[in-house]
Amino acid sequence: MKTIGGVVVSHGQFANELVSAAEQVVGEIPHVAAVSIGWHDNVDVAKGEIERAIKSVSSGNGVLLLTDMFGGTPTNISAMFIKENEVEVVTGVNLPMVIKLASQNKEMSLLEMAELVERQGKESIYKAADLLDPHKSKA
Amino acid sequence: MIKGQVKVVNRLGLHARAAALVVKRAADFESSVMLIREDKSVYADAKSILSVLSLAASNGLELAIEVEGPDEESAFAAMSKLFEEGFGEL
Repeated sequence: MKTIGGVVVSHGQFANELVSAAEQVVGEIPHVAAVSIGWHDNVDVAKGEIERAIKSVSSGNGVLLLTDMFGGTPTNISAMFIKENEVEVVTGVNLPMVIKLASQNKEMSLLEMAELVERQGKESIYKAADLLDPHKSKA
Repeated sequence: MIKGQVKVVNRLGLHARAAALVVKRAADFESSVMLIREDKSVYADAKSILSVLSLAASNGLELAIEVEGPDEESAFAAMSKLFEEGFGEL
C-alpha cells in the first residue's frame, strides 16, 4: 500500500514532542517527520528544513503538512509548498490528527487524507465533562 | 455474527495504552469488531484507536461487542480475554 507522508511543523519543540507522543501510542511512525522552527530562525533555513523533511517522508503518494496554527510562520512557510496531489497543509494540529495520519489502513488520495485529518482533528475536541457525566450532558 | 458483553475492569479505563492494545488485538483478525457503548449509542470500530478512545469507557463500564467474519469465534474469545485481563493492568 502506498502511504501518504506527513510532516508536523511547529513553533518551538511542539512538533517533535507531538510525533514522539503519537509514537508512544501507536508505535514507530517512519512516514511522519517533525520540523520544529525556532522563534528566531531564518525563513530560508526553515524552508530548507521543511523541504528536506518532505523528501524524507515522500513515497510518491503525496505529503500532508500539519502545522500548529493558521497565520503563524510555520503555516505560512508550509503553504509555499502546496501543490495539487503533492503537498497539502492542514493547520491546528493535535494528537488525534497525527495518530490518524499514522494509522493509514486503506489507500486514498492526498486530498481525501487531508480532509479526513481535518475532520478528525475537529471531531476529537470535547468538553470532557459533557462526555463523562451523563447528567450534565446536552447530547 | 457473535454478540456479547465485555466489561472494563482496569482502574484507568480504556485510556490510550489500553486502547492501543485493543486495536492491536482486533487487527489480528479478519473479522470486523465493533464495541458499543449502549447508554450513549456510541459505536466504535475496534480496529481504530481514535474510535475506541471516543467511547470514553471508564472503569466498571460494560460495552456490547459485535464480531462478524470468518474468524469471529477466535476474535470474540481473544477480545473477551483482553478485557477480562484488564489489558494487563490488574
